[in-house]
Amino acid sequence: MATYIVTSDRLAGFNRGDVFESTDLDADIQRLVEAGHISPQGSKKSAKTKDTDTDKE
Amino acid sequence: MATSVYLSNPNVTINSVALQDQCTSATVNYVYEQLETTAFGDTARKFGGSSVVSLQNNTIEVELYQSYAASETEATIFGLVGIQTTIVVAPASGSVSATNPFYTLVGAYLESHTPISASLGELSTVTLTFAGGVLTKTTT
Repeated sequence: MATYIVTSDRLAGFNRGDVFESTDLDADIQRLVEAGHISPQGSKKSAKTKDTDTDKE
Repeated sequence: MATSVYLSNPNVTINSVALQDQCTSATVNYVYEQLETTAFGDTARKFGGSSVVSLQNNTIEVELYQSYAASETEATIFGLVGIQTTIVVAPASGSVSATNPFYTLVGAYLESHTPISASLGELSTVTLTFAGGVLTKTTT
């Protein structure tokens, strides 16, 4: 599921800077990206965890 | 007392983009095609009937000021030509209610757009007709 950030003041129901998932919006996402209203967010890898008692990753 | 309505601060969104501050005119046409059901024995023409459901043939026409700035009219509209999109028009800017119904046309097709339509000394405008799709009226 793709995540997007709102980059204009015109997206109905959202404010600039809001982050949402593609399923939250019933619109043509590609056209909104092309028009500059939203921008895809890069997916972040989850951080590695380390057990501090055993030092095992 | 009779009341009249004019749209001074409506809600107009095209593909979820709020464009009412660029909009000067909006017309929602809610149409079911007229199917004739007249038969022998009738004394007058008849159309439709309780068991006859015709196709919707809806249109929404809007007039917008043209703007080539970022995230404005041209950037929003140009990519919608030739595809289906969703248009929402409501009489006022507030939330949906019985006195502020939202008219939503889903699957509307924008056939054409005039990116440049300008005359000396006048603000440039574009008139868009979104055709087809299913119109719903929401009051809650």
